Amino acid sequence: MENGLKFKNSGTVIADNKNSRSKKLKGERKRFSFLSIYSVLIYMFLYIPLFVVVVFSFNSSKSTVSFERFTFSWYIELFKDSALMSAFLHSIEVSLIAVVIAIIIGTSGAFFLVRANFPGKKFFMTIAQLPYVLPGIIVGIALLIFFISLNFKLNAFTIILGHVSFTTPVVLMQMMSRIQRLGKTYEEAAQDLGANPMKTFFLVTLPLIKTAIIGAAFLAFTISFDEIVITYFLTGTWNTLPVFIYGMMRFGLSPKVYAVSSLVLILSIVMVYFMAKFTGKTEEASLKK
Amino acid sequence: METTEALDKKINKKAPVKKVQKEKTKLGTLLLGVPVILWLLMIVIIPVILMLIMSFKIKSGYEITNIFTFQNYLSFFKNSTYWRILLKSFRMAFIVSFTAIIVSYPLAFFISRVLKKGRSFLFMLIIIPLWVSYLVRIIAWRTILGNNGLLNNLLMGLHITKQPLSIFLYNNFSVILTLTYIAIPFVFIPLYTALEKIPNNLVEAARDLGANDFHVFKSIILPLSAPGFITGFMLSFILALGDYIIPQQLGGKTGLMFGNIVWSQFGFASNWPLGSALGFILFTIAAVILAITQKFSGEEGIYM
Repeated sequence: MENGLKFKNSGTVIADNKNSRSKKLKGERKRFSFLSIYSVLIYMFLYIPLFVVVVFSFNSSKSTVSFERFTFSWYIELFKDSALMSAFLHSIEVSLIAVVIAIIIGTSGAFFLVRANFPGKKFFMTIAQLPYVLPGIIVGIALLIFFISLNFKLNAFTIILGHVSFTTPVVLMQMMSRIQRLGKTYEEAAQDLGANPMKTFFLVTLPLIKTAIIGAAFLAFTISFDEIVITYFLTGTWNTLPVFIYGMMRFGLSPKVYAVSSLVLILSIVMVYFMAKFTGKTEEASLKK
Repeated sequence: METTEALDKKINKKAPVKKVQKEKTKLGTLLLGVPVILWLLMIVIIPVILMLIMSFKIKSGYEITNIFTFQNYLSFFKNSTYWRILLKSFRMAFIVSFTAIIVSYPLAFFISRVLKKGRSFLFMLIIIPLWVSYLVRIIAWRTILGNNGLLNNLLMGLHITKQPLSIFLYNNFSVILTLTYIAIPFVFIPLYTALEKIPNNLVEAARDLGANDFHVFKSIILPLSAPGFITGFMLSFILALGDYIIPQQLGGKTGLMFGNIVWSQFGFASNWPLGSALGFILFTIAAVILAITQKFSGEEGIYM
Protein backbone atom coordinates (compact mmCIF):
# COMPACT_ATOMS: atom_id res chain seq x y z
CA MET A 1 0.00 0.00 0.00
CA GLU A 2 2.69 2.37 1.09
CA ASN A 3 4.54 1.79 -2.13
CA GLY A 4 1.53 2.55 -4.21
CA LEU A 5 1.18 5.90 -2.50
CA LYS A 6 4.82 6.65 -2.89
CA PHE A 7 4.83 6.39 -6.64
CA LYS A 8 1.54 8.13 -6.95
CA ASN A 9 3.10 11.13 -5.32
CA SER A 10 6.13 11.11 -7.55
CA GLY A 11 3.81 10.93 -10.53
CA THR A 12 2.06 14.13 -9.54
CA VAL A 13 5.35 15.82 -8.79
CA ILE A 14 6.49 15.23 -12.33
CA ALA A 15 3.19 16.43 -13.66
CA ASP A 16 3.50 19.56 -11.52
CA ASN A 17 6.87 20.44 -12.96
CA LYS A 18 5.68 20.05 -16.47
CA ASN A 19 2.60 22.05 -15.74
CA SER A 20 4.56 25.02 -14.54
CA ARG A 21 6.70 24.83 -17.64
CA SER A 22 3.90 25.26 -20.11
CA LYS A 23 0.16 25.47 -20.14
CA LYS A 24 0.00 23.20 -23.12
CA LEU A 25 0.72 20.25 -20.92
CA LYS A 26 -2.18 20.87 -18.57
CA GLY A 27 -4.11 17.98 -20.03
CA GLU A 28 -1.13 15.76 -19.44
CA ARG A 29 -1.40 16.12 -15.71
CA LYS A 30 -4.93 14.84 -15.80
CA ARG A 31 -3.91 11.89 -17.89
CA PHE A 32 -0.97 11.06 -15.68
CA SER A 33 -3.00 11.24 -12.54
CA PHE A 34 -5.49 8.94 -14.21
CA LEU A 35 -2.64 6.58 -15.01
CA SER A 36 -1.31 6.74 -11.49
CA ILE A 37 -4.71 5.93 -10.00
CA TYR A 38 -5.04 3.10 -12.47
CA SER A 39 -1.60 1.81 -11.49
CA VAL A 40 -2.45 1.90 -7.80
CA LEU A 41 -5.53 -0.18 -8.56
CA ILE A 42 -3.47 -2.76 -10.43
CA TYR A 43 -0.95 -2.96 -7.62
CA MET A 44 -3.85 -3.51 -5.26
CA PHE A 45 -5.20 -6.22 -7.51
CA LEU A 46 -1.79 -7.91 -7.48
CA TYR A 47 -1.15 -7.67 -3.75
CA ILE A 48 -4.52 -7.82 -1.97
CA PRO A 49 -5.00 -11.55 -2.66
CA LEU A 50 -1.60 -12.28 -1.13
CA PHE A 51 -2.43 -10.01 1.77
CA VAL A 52 -5.68 -11.92 2.36
CA VAL A 53 -3.77 -15.17 2.77
CA VAL A 54 -1.44 -13.64 5.34
CA VAL A 55 -4.32 -12.05 7.27
CA PHE A 56 -6.28 -15.29 7.55
CA SER A 57 -3.23 -17.17 8.74
CA PHE A 58 -3.59 -15.22 11.99
CA ASN A 59 -7.31 -15.90 12.35
CA SER A 60 -8.32 -17.92 15.39
CA SER A 61 -11.50 -19.08 13.66
CA LYS A 62 -11.28 -21.83 11.09
CA SER A 63 -13.61 -20.11 8.67
CA THR A 64 -12.77 -17.34 6.27
CA VAL A 65 -16.13 -15.70 6.88
CA SER A 66 -14.83 -13.36 9.50
CA PHE A 67 -11.70 -12.55 11.37
CA GLU A 68 -12.21 -13.44 15.00
CA ARG A 69 -9.12 -13.12 17.04
CA PHE A 70 -5.43 -12.70 16.30
CA THR A 71 -3.46 -15.86 16.96
CA PHE A 72 -0.07 -17.40 16.26
CA SER A 73 -1.30 -20.90 17.03
CA TRP A 74 -1.46 -22.06 13.41
CA TYR A 75 2.19 -21.27 13.00
CA ILE A 76 3.02 -23.21 16.12
CA GLU A 77 1.04 -26.12 14.74
CA LEU A 78 3.12 -26.03 11.58
CA PHE A 79 6.27 -26.64 13.55
CA LYS A 80 4.64 -29.54 15.36
CA ASP A 81 3.68 -31.20 12.07
CA SER A 82 6.64 -33.45 11.41
CA ALA A 83 5.49 -34.46 7.91
CA LEU A 84 5.27 -30.82 6.93
CA MET A 85 8.62 -29.98 8.44
CA SER A 86 10.32 -32.81 6.60
CA ALA A 87 8.67 -31.70 3.34
CA PHE A 88 10.06 -28.25 4.02
CA LEU A 89 13.56 -29.63 4.55
CA HIS A 90 13.19 -31.74 1.40
CA SER A 91 12.35 -28.61 -0.54
CA ILE A 92 15.43 -26.81 0.74
CA GLU A 93 17.55 -29.82 -0.14
CA VAL A 94 16.12 -30.13 -3.66
CA SER A 95 16.43 -26.43 -4.39
CA LEU A 96 19.97 -26.12 -3.04
CA ILE A 97 21.30 -29.08 -5.02
CA ALA A 98 19.40 -28.12 -8.16
CA VAL A 99 20.72 -24.56 -7.94
CA VAL A 100 24.34 -25.64 -7.48
CA ILE A 101 24.09 -27.94 -10.52
CA ALA A 102 22.31 -25.24 -12.51
CA ILE A 103 24.99 -22.68 -11.64
CA ILE A 104 27.73 -24.98 -12.91
CA ILE A 105 25.93 -25.92 -16.13
CA GLY A 106 24.44 -22.49 -16.68
CA THR A 107 27.58 -20.44 -16.10
CA SER A 108 29.88 -22.61 -18.18
CA GLY A 109 27.16 -22.85 -20.81
CA ALA A 110 26.77 -19.09 -20.85
CA PHE A 111 30.49 -18.61 -21.58
CA PHE A 112 30.21 -21.22 -24.30
CA LEU A 113 27.16 -19.62 -25.90
CA VAL A 114 28.47 -16.06 -25.73
CA ARG A 115 31.99 -16.80 -26.95
CA ALA A 116 31.84 -19.77 -29.26
CA ASN A 117 30.61 -19.40 -32.80
CA PHE A 118 28.92 -22.36 -34.36
CA PRO A 119 26.12 -22.89 -36.84
CA GLY A 120 22.70 -23.17 -35.25
CA LYS A 121 23.67 -21.22 -32.15
CA LYS A 122 20.40 -19.34 -32.06
CA PHE A 123 18.48 -22.59 -32.37
CA PHE A 124 20.54 -24.08 -29.55
CA MET A 125 19.66 -21.14 -27.32
CA THR A 126 15.98 -21.46 -28.13
CA ILE A 127 15.98 -25.16 -27.26
CA ALA A 128 17.91 -24.47 -24.08
CA GLN A 129 15.16 -22.11 -22.92
CA LEU A 130 12.41 -24.63 -23.54
CA PRO A 131 12.27 -26.25 -20.09
CA TYR A 132 11.55 -22.85 -18.58
CA VAL A 133 9.21 -21.56 -21.26
CA LEU A 134 7.22 -24.65 -22.17
CA PRO A 135 4.17 -25.53 -20.11
CA GLY A 136 5.41 -27.49 -17.12
CA ILE A 137 3.14 -30.39 -17.93
CA ILE A 138 5.16 -31.20 -21.08
CA VAL A 139 8.48 -31.18 -19.26
CA GLY A 140 6.86 -33.18 -16.47
CA ILE A 141 5.55 -36.01 -18.62
CA ALA A 142 8.66 -36.12 -20.83
CA LEU A 143 10.90 -36.48 -17.77
CA LEU A 144 8.54 -38.99 -16.17
CA ILE A 145 8.68 -41.19 -19.26
CA PHE A 146 12.46 -40.76 -19.39
CA PHE A 147 12.97 -41.80 -15.76
CA ILE A 148 10.58 -44.72 -15.91
CA SER A 149 12.17 -46.06 -19.09
CA LEU A 150 15.53 -45.91 -17.27
CA ASN A 151 13.90 -47.88 -14.43
CA PHE A 152 14.49 -45.05 -11.97
CA LYS A 153 12.32 -45.00 -8.90
CA LEU A 154 10.59 -41.69 -8.29
CA ASN A 155 12.42 -40.15 -5.35
CA ALA A 156 14.58 -37.19 -4.36
CA PHE A 157 16.94 -37.82 -7.26
CA THR A 158 14.25 -37.59 -9.95
CA ILE A 159 12.82 -34.44 -8.39
CA ILE A 160 16.27 -32.83 -8.29
CA LEU A 161 16.88 -33.67 -11.96
CA GLY A 162 13.45 -32.27 -12.74
CA HIS A 163 14.42 -29.03 -11.03
CA VAL A 164 17.73 -28.90 -12.87
CA SER A 165 15.70 -28.89 -16.09
CA PHE A 166 14.19 -25.46 -15.47
CA THR A 167 16.73 -23.83 -13.14
CA THR A 168 19.50 -24.23 -15.74
CA PRO A 169 17.86 -21.99 -18.37
CA VAL A 170 17.18 -19.41 -15.67
CA VAL A 171 20.87 -19.27 -14.73
CA LEU A 172 21.95 -19.52 -18.37
CA MET A 173 19.94 -16.48 -19.44
CA GLN A 174 21.01 -14.38 -16.46
CA MET A 175 24.67 -15.25 -16.94
CA MET A 176 24.62 -14.75 -20.69
CA SER A 177 23.46 -11.18 -20.37
CA ARG A 178 26.14 -10.51 -17.75
CA ILE A 179 28.94 -12.08 -19.80
CA GLN A 180 27.82 -10.24 -22.91
CA ARG A 181 28.07 -6.93 -21.09
CA LEU A 182 31.40 -7.90 -19.53
CA GLY A 183 33.21 -8.24 -22.84
CA LYS A 184 36.59 -9.83 -23.22
CA THR A 185 38.91 -6.91 -22.51
CA TYR A 186 39.66 -7.64 -18.85
CA GLU A 187 40.54 -11.22 -19.50
CA GLU A 188 42.67 -10.30 -22.48
CA ALA A 189 44.49 -7.76 -20.37
CA ALA A 190 45.17 -10.38 -17.70
CA GLN A 191 46.44 -12.80 -20.28
CA ASP A 192 48.64 -10.17 -21.89
CA LEU A 193 50.15 -9.64 -18.45
CA GLY A 194 51.01 -13.32 -18.31
CA ALA A 195 48.18 -14.90 -16.33
CA ASN A 196 47.29 -18.44 -17.35
CA PRO A 197 43.64 -19.33 -18.03
CA MET A 198 43.16 -20.68 -14.49
CA LYS A 199 44.54 -17.54 -12.89
CA THR A 200 42.59 -15.34 -15.27
CA PHE A 201 39.37 -17.07 -14.34
CA PHE A 202 39.79 -17.01 -10.58
CA LEU A 203 41.43 -13.60 -10.23
CA VAL A 204 39.69 -11.64 -12.98
CA THR A 205 36.59 -13.25 -14.46
CA LEU A 206 35.05 -14.77 -11.36
CA PRO A 207 35.16 -11.59 -9.25
CA LEU A 208 33.55 -9.75 -12.15
CA ILE A 209 30.65 -12.17 -12.51
CA LYS A 210 30.29 -13.03 -8.83
CA THR A 211 27.28 -10.83 -8.14
CA ALA A 212 25.52 -12.13 -11.24
CA ILE A 213 26.08 -15.71 -10.11
CA ILE A 214 24.71 -14.99 -6.64
CA GLY A 215 21.73 -13.15 -8.10
CA ALA A 216 21.00 -15.98 -10.52
CA ALA A 217 21.30 -18.48 -7.67
CA PHE A 218 18.73 -16.64 -5.59
CA LEU A 219 16.36 -16.38 -8.53
CA ALA A 220 16.73 -20.05 -9.42
CA PHE A 221 16.27 -21.03 -5.77
CA THR A 222 13.06 -19.03 -5.49
CA ILE A 223 11.61 -20.55 -8.65
CA SER A 224 12.68 -24.04 -7.64
CA PHE A 225 11.45 -23.79 -4.06
CA ASP A 226 7.99 -22.97 -5.29
CA GLU A 227 7.71 -25.35 -8.24
CA ILE A 228 4.87 -27.86 -8.37
CA VAL A 229 3.73 -28.36 -11.96
CA ILE A 230 6.76 -30.44 -12.98
CA THR A 231 7.51 -31.79 -9.52
CA TYR A 232 4.03 -33.26 -9.22
CA PHE A 233 4.81 -35.71 -12.03
CA LEU A 234 8.15 -36.75 -10.58
CA THR A 235 7.06 -37.28 -6.99
CA GLY A 236 6.86 -40.69 -5.44
CA THR A 237 6.46 -40.87 -1.69
CA TRP A 238 9.23 -38.37 -1.03
CA ASN A 239 7.61 -34.97 -1.40
CA THR A 240 8.53 -31.35 -1.45
CA LEU A 241 6.72 -28.57 0.40
CA PRO A 242 4.51 -27.39 -2.51
CA VAL A 243 3.42 -30.98 -3.18
CA PHE A 244 2.68 -31.39 0.51
CA ILE A 245 0.65 -28.17 0.59
CA TYR A 246 -1.19 -29.34 -2.51
CA GLY A 247 -2.11 -32.48 -0.60
CA MET A 248 -3.35 -30.40 2.32
CA MET A 249 -5.55 -28.40 -0.05
CA ARG A 250 -7.53 -31.52 -0.92
CA PHE A 251 -9.12 -31.31 2.50
CA GLY A 252 -10.09 -27.72 1.90
CA LEU A 253 -8.41 -24.52 2.87
CA SER A 254 -7.57 -24.11 6.52
CA PRO A 255 -5.70 -21.53 8.57
CA LYS A 256 -2.85 -23.99 8.61
CA VAL A 257 -2.68 -23.84 4.81
CA TYR A 258 -2.70 -20.06 5.07
CA ALA A 259 0.06 -20.13 7.67
CA VAL A 260 2.38 -22.32 5.62
CA SER A 261 1.55 -20.27 2.51
CA SER A 262 2.46 -17.09 4.32
CA LEU A 263 5.79 -18.54 5.34
CA VAL A 264 6.50 -19.61 1.76
CA LEU A 265 5.48 -16.16 0.60
CA ILE A 266 7.78 -14.41 3.03
CA LEU A 267 10.68 -16.69 2.26
CA SER A 268 10.23 -16.08 -1.48
CA ILE A 269 10.06 -12.34 -1.03
CA VAL A 270 13.26 -12.39 1.03
CA MET A 271 14.92 -14.42 -1.72
CA VAL A 272 13.78 -12.03 -4.42
CA TYR A 273 15.02 -9.14 -2.33
CA PHE A 274 18.49 -10.65 -2.20
CA MET A 275 18.32 -11.44 -5.88
CA ALA A 276 17.49 -7.81 -6.63
CA LYS A 277 20.22 -6.65 -4.32
CA PHE A 278 22.84 -8.60 -6.18
CA THR A 279 21.67 -8.01 -9.73
CA GLY A 280 19.72 -4.81 -9.17
CA LYS A 281 22.67 -2.47 -9.31
CA THR A 282 23.69 -3.46 -12.80
CA GLU A 283 20.06 -3.47 -13.84
CA GLU A 284 19.54 0.06 -12.63
CA ALA A 285 22.66 1.28 -14.40
CA SER A 286 21.38 -0.07 -17.67
CA LEU A 287 17.98 1.45 -17.04
CA LYS A 288 19.43 4.90 -16.44
CA LYS A 289 21.25 4.83 -19.72
CA MET B 1 28.46 -17.79 -46.06
CA GLU B 2 29.24 -14.27 -47.11
CA THR B 3 26.67 -12.81 -44.79
CA THR B 4 27.99 -14.63 -41.75
CA GLU B 5 31.48 -13.42 -42.56
CA ALA B 6 30.26 -9.88 -42.88
CA LEU B 7 28.48 -10.23 -39.58
CA ASP B 8 31.58 -11.65 -37.99
CA LYS B 9 33.54 -8.67 -39.18
CA LYS B 10 30.95 -6.33 -37.79
CA ILE B 11 31.11 -7.96 -34.41
CA ASN B 12 34.88 -8.27 -34.20
CA LYS B 13 36.22 -5.05 -35.59
CA LYS B 14 39.64 -6.08 -34.51
CA ALA B 15 42.99 -6.48 -36.14
CA PRO B 16 43.72 -9.85 -37.75
CA VAL B 17 46.46 -10.42 -35.14
CA LYS B 18 43.74 -11.37 -32.69
CA LYS B 19 42.63 -14.18 -34.92
CA VAL B 20 45.36 -16.50 -33.72
CA GLN B 21 44.34 -15.94 -30.14
CA LYS B 22 40.69 -16.45 -30.95
CA GLU B 23 41.43 -19.90 -32.36
CA LYS B 24 43.37 -20.73 -29.23
CA THR B 25 40.61 -19.82 -26.79
CA LYS B 26 38.10 -21.66 -28.85
CA LEU B 27 39.10 -25.11 -27.64
CA GLY B 28 38.66 -24.07 -24.04
CA THR B 29 35.36 -22.39 -24.87
CA LEU B 30 34.14 -25.53 -26.60
CA LEU B 31 35.01 -27.56 -23.51
CA LEU B 32 32.86 -25.18 -21.48
CA GLY B 33 29.98 -26.21 -23.68
CA VAL B 34 30.14 -29.87 -22.65
CA PRO B 35 27.95 -29.66 -19.51
CA VAL B 36 25.23 -27.63 -21.19
CA ILE B 37 25.17 -29.89 -24.23
CA LEU B 38 24.94 -32.98 -22.02
CA TRP B 39 22.17 -31.33 -19.99
CA LEU B 40 20.30 -30.42 -23.15
CA LEU B 41 20.55 -33.97 -24.44
CA MET B 42 19.69 -35.76 -21.21
CA ILE B 43 17.06 -33.45 -19.77
CA VAL B 44 15.42 -31.98 -22.84
CA ILE B 45 16.01 -33.72 -26.14
CA ILE B 46 15.99 -37.39 -25.16
CA PRO B 47 12.93 -37.08 -22.87
CA VAL B 48 10.96 -35.30 -25.59
CA ILE B 49 11.97 -37.97 -28.12
CA LEU B 50 10.94 -40.69 -25.67
CA MET B 51 7.61 -38.95 -25.24
CA LEU B 52 7.20 -38.90 -29.00
CA ILE B 53 8.03 -42.62 -29.21
CA MET B 54 5.61 -43.36 -26.38
CA SER B 55 2.87 -41.55 -28.26
CA PHE B 56 3.08 -44.10 -31.10
CA LYS B 57 2.65 -47.06 -28.78
CA ILE B 58 -0.69 -48.31 -27.55
CA LYS B 59 -2.19 -49.27 -24.29
CA SER B 60 -4.15 -52.51 -24.27
CA GLY B 61 -5.40 -53.78 -20.97
CA TYR B 62 -2.70 -53.12 -18.44
CA GLU B 63 0.16 -53.40 -20.90
CA ILE B 64 1.79 -50.90 -23.17
CA THR B 65 2.32 -52.64 -26.51
CA ASN B 66 5.40 -51.90 -28.54
CA ILE B 67 3.81 -51.47 -31.92
CA PHE B 68 4.02 -48.41 -34.08
CA THR B 69 0.59 -46.88 -34.53
CA PHE B 70 -1.05 -43.52 -35.10
CA GLN B 71 -4.07 -44.59 -33.14
CA ASN B 72 -3.56 -42.18 -30.25
CA TYR B 73 -3.43 -39.24 -32.63
CA LEU B 74 -6.43 -40.58 -34.54
CA SER B 75 -8.43 -40.88 -31.35
CA PHE B 76 -7.62 -37.25 -30.60
CA PHE B 77 -9.32 -36.24 -33.84
CA LYS B 78 -12.11 -38.81 -33.61
CA ASN B 79 -13.01 -38.19 -30.01
CA SER B 80 -14.62 -34.78 -30.07
CA THR B 81 -14.19 -34.23 -26.32
CA TYR B 82 -10.44 -33.98 -26.81
CA TRP B 83 -10.29 -31.42 -29.56
CA ARG B 84 -13.31 -29.57 -28.23
CA ILE B 85 -11.55 -29.05 -24.94
CA LEU B 86 -8.41 -28.02 -26.81
CA LEU B 87 -10.40 -25.42 -28.73
CA LYS B 88 -11.98 -24.25 -25.51
CA SER B 89 -8.54 -23.98 -23.94
CA PHE B 90 -7.44 -21.92 -26.94
CA ARG B 91 -10.36 -19.57 -26.38
CA MET B 92 -9.60 -19.26 -22.68
CA ALA B 93 -5.89 -18.72 -23.26
CA PHE B 94 -6.77 -16.05 -25.82
CA ILE B 95 -9.03 -14.22 -23.37
CA VAL B 96 -6.36 -14.48 -20.66
CA SER B 97 -3.58 -13.09 -22.86
CA PHE B 98 -5.75 -10.37 -24.31
CA THR B 99 -6.94 -9.22 -20.89
CA ALA B 100 -3.46 -9.39 -19.41
CA ILE B 101 -2.12 -7.18 -22.20
CA ILE B 102 -4.93 -4.64 -21.92
CA VAL B 103 -4.38 -4.46 -18.17
CA SER B 104 -0.58 -4.34 -18.28
CA TYR B 105 -0.04 -1.93 -21.14
CA PRO B 106 -1.11 1.31 -19.43
CA LEU B 107 0.88 0.27 -16.38
CA ALA B 108 4.00 -0.52 -18.42
CA PHE B 109 3.57 2.76 -20.28
CA PHE B 110 3.22 4.69 -17.05
CA ILE B 111 6.23 3.15 -15.34
CA SER B 112 8.55 3.10 -18.33
CA ARG B 113 7.75 6.41 -20.00
CA VAL B 114 6.00 8.72 -17.57
CA LEU B 115 7.67 8.11 -14.24
CA LYS B 116 11.15 9.41 -13.71
CA LYS B 117 11.82 8.01 -10.28
CA GLY B 118 11.45 4.64 -8.65
CA ARG B 119 11.10 2.80 -11.93
CA SER B 120 13.17 -0.22 -11.06
CA PHE B 121 11.48 -0.56 -7.70
CA LEU B 122 8.00 -0.50 -9.20
CA PHE B 123 9.14 -2.84 -11.93
CA MET B 124 10.32 -5.30 -9.30
CA LEU B 125 7.06 -4.93 -7.42
CA ILE B 126 5.16 -6.14 -10.47
CA ILE B 127 7.38 -9.07 -11.25
CA ILE B 128 7.81 -10.32 -7.69
CA PRO B 129 4.51 -12.22 -7.94
CA LEU B 130 6.00 -14.00 -10.94
CA TRP B 131 8.44 -15.83 -8.73
CA VAL B 132 6.50 -15.84 -5.52
CA SER B 133 4.51 -18.95 -4.93
CA TYR B 134 2.18 -20.08 -7.64
CA LEU B 135 0.28 -22.19 -5.10
CA VAL B 136 -0.19 -19.29 -2.71
CA ARG B 137 -1.83 -17.31 -5.47
CA ILE B 138 -4.22 -20.18 -6.20
CA ILE B 139 -5.03 -20.46 -2.51
CA ALA B 140 -5.64 -16.72 -2.40
CA TRP B 141 -8.17 -16.76 -5.21
CA ARG B 142 -9.97 -19.76 -3.84
CA THR B 143 -10.31 -17.87 -0.59
CA ILE B 144 -11.66 -14.80 -2.30
CA LEU B 145 -14.03 -16.48 -4.76
CA GLY B 146 -15.34 -19.38 -2.68
CA ASN B 147 -18.86 -19.88 -1.40
CA ASN B 148 -17.78 -18.75 2.03
CA GLY B 149 -15.25 -16.52 0.45
CA LEU B 150 -14.43 -12.89 0.88
CA LEU B 151 -16.29 -11.70 -2.18
CA ASN B 152 -19.53 -13.33 -1.09
CA ASN B 153 -19.15 -11.98 2.41
CA LEU B 154 -18.56 -8.56 1.03
CA LEU B 155 -21.64 -8.74 -1.19
CA MET B 156 -23.78 -10.01 1.66
CA GLY B 157 -22.36 -7.42 4.00
CA LEU B 158 -23.34 -4.72 1.53
CA HIS B 159 -26.79 -6.36 1.21
CA ILE B 160 -26.36 -6.84 -2.51
CA THR B 161 -27.19 -10.52 -2.18
CA LYS B 162 -28.85 -12.43 0.62
CA GLN B 163 -27.24 -15.78 0.02
CA PRO B 164 -23.72 -16.60 -1.02
CA LEU B 165 -23.40 -16.82 -4.79
CA SER B 166 -21.72 -19.86 -6.24
CA ILE B 167 -21.06 -18.17 -9.56
CA PHE B 168 -17.55 -17.04 -8.72
CA LEU B 169 -15.76 -20.32 -8.19
CA TYR B 170 -15.51 -23.60 -10.09
CA ASN B 171 -16.18 -22.34 -13.58
CA ASN B 172 -14.40 -20.81 -16.55
CA PHE B 173 -14.53 -17.37 -15.00
CA SER B 174 -12.50 -18.27 -11.93
CA VAL B 175 -9.94 -20.08 -14.08
CA ILE B 176 -9.60 -17.15 -16.47
CA LEU B 177 -9.34 -14.66 -13.61
CA THR B 178 -6.59 -16.59 -11.84
CA LEU B 179 -4.68 -17.28 -15.04
CA THR B 180 -4.86 -13.59 -15.92
CA TYR B 181 -3.64 -12.70 -12.46
CA ILE B 182 -0.66 -14.97 -13.04
CA ALA B 183 -0.11 -13.77 -16.62
CA ILE B 184 0.04 -10.04 -15.84
CA PRO B 185 3.69 -9.96 -14.65
CA PHE B 186 4.62 -12.28 -17.50
CA VAL B 187 3.15 -9.88 -20.05
CA PHE B 188 4.37 -6.80 -18.25
CA ILE B 189 8.09 -7.57 -18.71
CA PRO B 190 8.21 -7.62 -22.54
CA LEU B 191 5.82 -4.67 -22.77
CA TYR B 192 7.98 -2.67 -20.39
CA THR B 193 11.18 -3.61 -22.22
CA ALA B 194 9.72 -2.63 -25.59
CA LEU B 195 8.32 0.67 -24.33
CA GLU B 196 11.49 1.57 -22.52
CA LYS B 197 13.57 1.11 -25.67
CA ILE B 198 11.65 3.70 -27.68
CA PRO B 199 14.02 6.67 -27.97
CA ASN B 200 12.71 9.88 -26.49
CA ASN B 201 14.01 12.01 -29.34
CA LEU B 202 11.60 10.26 -31.71
CA VAL B 203 8.73 11.45 -29.56
CA GLU B 204 10.22 14.93 -29.30
CA ALA B 205 10.78 15.11 -33.04
CA ALA B 206 7.17 14.15 -33.67
CA ARG B 207 6.00 16.82 -31.23
CA ASP B 208 8.17 19.45 -32.91
CA LEU B 209 6.52 18.54 -36.16
CA GLY B 210 3.16 19.25 -34.59
CA ALA B 211 1.93 15.83 -33.57
CA ASN B 212 -0.42 15.77 -30.61
CA ASP B 213 -0.46 13.13 -27.85
CA PHE B 214 -2.81 10.92 -29.74
CA HIS B 215 -0.69 11.01 -32.89
CA VAL B 216 2.51 10.37 -30.99
CA PHE B 217 0.91 7.39 -29.32
CA LYS B 218 -0.66 6.05 -32.50
CA SER B 219 2.24 6.43 -34.86
CA ILE B 220 5.26 6.01 -32.59
CA ILE B 221 4.59 4.40 -29.24
CA LEU B 222 2.10 1.80 -30.34
CA PRO B 223 3.93 0.46 -33.43
CA LEU B 224 7.30 0.46 -31.68
CA SER B 225 5.96 -1.50 -28.75
CA ALA B 226 4.61 -4.19 -31.06
CA PRO B 227 7.41 -6.67 -30.28
CA GLY B 228 6.44 -6.44 -26.62
CA PHE B 229 2.83 -7.12 -27.52
CA ILE B 230 3.70 -10.19 -29.51
CA THR B 231 6.11 -11.65 -26.97
CA GLY B 232 3.82 -10.95 -24.04
CA PHE B 233 0.79 -12.33 -25.78
CA MET B 234 2.47 -15.52 -26.90
CA LEU B 235 4.15 -16.25 -23.58
CA SER B 236 0.99 -15.82 -21.60
CA PHE B 237 -0.92 -17.81 -24.20
CA ILE B 238 1.41 -20.78 -23.75
CA LEU B 239 1.31 -20.39 -19.99
CA ALA B 240 -2.48 -20.43 -19.94
CA LEU B 241 -2.90 -23.15 -22.54
CA GLY B 242 -0.81 -25.71 -20.71
CA ASP B 243 -1.87 -25.16 -17.12
CA TYR B 244 -3.56 -28.00 -15.28
CA ILE B 245 -3.28 -27.04 -11.62
CA ILE B 246 -5.37 -23.88 -11.80
CA PRO B 247 -8.27 -25.55 -13.66
CA GLN B 248 -8.04 -28.43 -11.21
CA GLN B 249 -8.18 -26.15 -8.21
CA LEU B 250 -10.56 -23.46 -9.43
CA GLY B 251 -12.27 -24.87 -12.49
CA GLY B 252 -14.56 -27.48 -11.02
CA LYS B 253 -16.25 -29.66 -13.62
CA THR B 254 -16.96 -26.95 -16.17
CA GLY B 255 -13.63 -25.18 -16.05
CA LEU B 256 -11.42 -28.08 -17.14
CA MET B 257 -8.73 -27.43 -19.73
CA PHE B 258 -6.57 -29.44 -22.09
CA GLY B 259 -3.84 -29.82 -19.48
CA ASN B 260 -6.26 -31.69 -17.22
CA ILE B 261 -6.95 -34.25 -19.93
CA VAL B 262 -3.24 -34.79 -20.49
CA TRP B 263 -2.69 -35.02 -16.75
CA SER B 264 -5.47 -37.54 -16.21
CA GLN B 265 -3.81 -39.94 -18.66
CA PHE B 266 -0.89 -40.11 -16.27
CA GLY B 267 -3.15 -40.25 -13.24
CA PHE B 268 -6.34 -42.22 -12.87
CA ALA B 269 -6.96 -42.85 -16.58
CA SER B 270 -3.44 -44.23 -16.76
CA ASN B 271 -2.99 -44.29 -20.50
CA TRP B 272 0.55 -43.08 -21.03
CA PRO B 273 0.65 -43.51 -24.82
CA LEU B 274 -2.49 -41.41 -25.27
CA GLY B 275 -1.23 -38.90 -22.70
CA SER B 276 2.05 -38.66 -24.61
CA ALA B 277 0.24 -38.04 -27.87
CA LEU B 278 -1.85 -35.29 -26.31
CA GLY B 279 1.26 -33.91 -24.65
CA PHE B 280 3.10 -33.94 -27.95
CA ILE B 281 0.25 -32.05 -29.60
CA LEU B 282 0.55 -29.43 -26.87
CA PHE B 283 4.33 -29.38 -27.33
CA THR B 284 3.97 -28.80 -31.08
CA ILE B 285 1.52 -25.95 -30.56
CA ALA B 286 3.81 -24.32 -28.00
CA ALA B 287 6.88 -24.78 -30.21
CA VAL B 288 5.14 -23.18 -33.21
CA ILE B 289 4.02 -20.25 -31.07
CA LEU B 290 7.55 -19.78 -29.72
CA ALA B 291 9.05 -19.94 -33.19
CA ILE B 292 6.65 -17.24 -34.39
CA THR B 293 7.43 -15.13 -31.34
CA GLN B 294 11.14 -15.38 -31.88
CA LYS B 295 10.75 -14.34 -35.48
CA PHE B 296 8.78 -11.21 -34.66
CA SER B 297 10.43 -10.03 -31.51
CA GLY B 298 13.96 -8.76 -31.13
CA GLU B 299 17.18 -10.69 -31.11
CA GLU B 300 17.78 -10.59 -27.42
CA GLY B 301 16.62 -13.08 -24.84
CA ILE B 302 12.97 -12.41 -24.54
CA TYR B 303 11.96 -14.67 -21.73
CA MET B 304 13.59 -13.07 -18.77
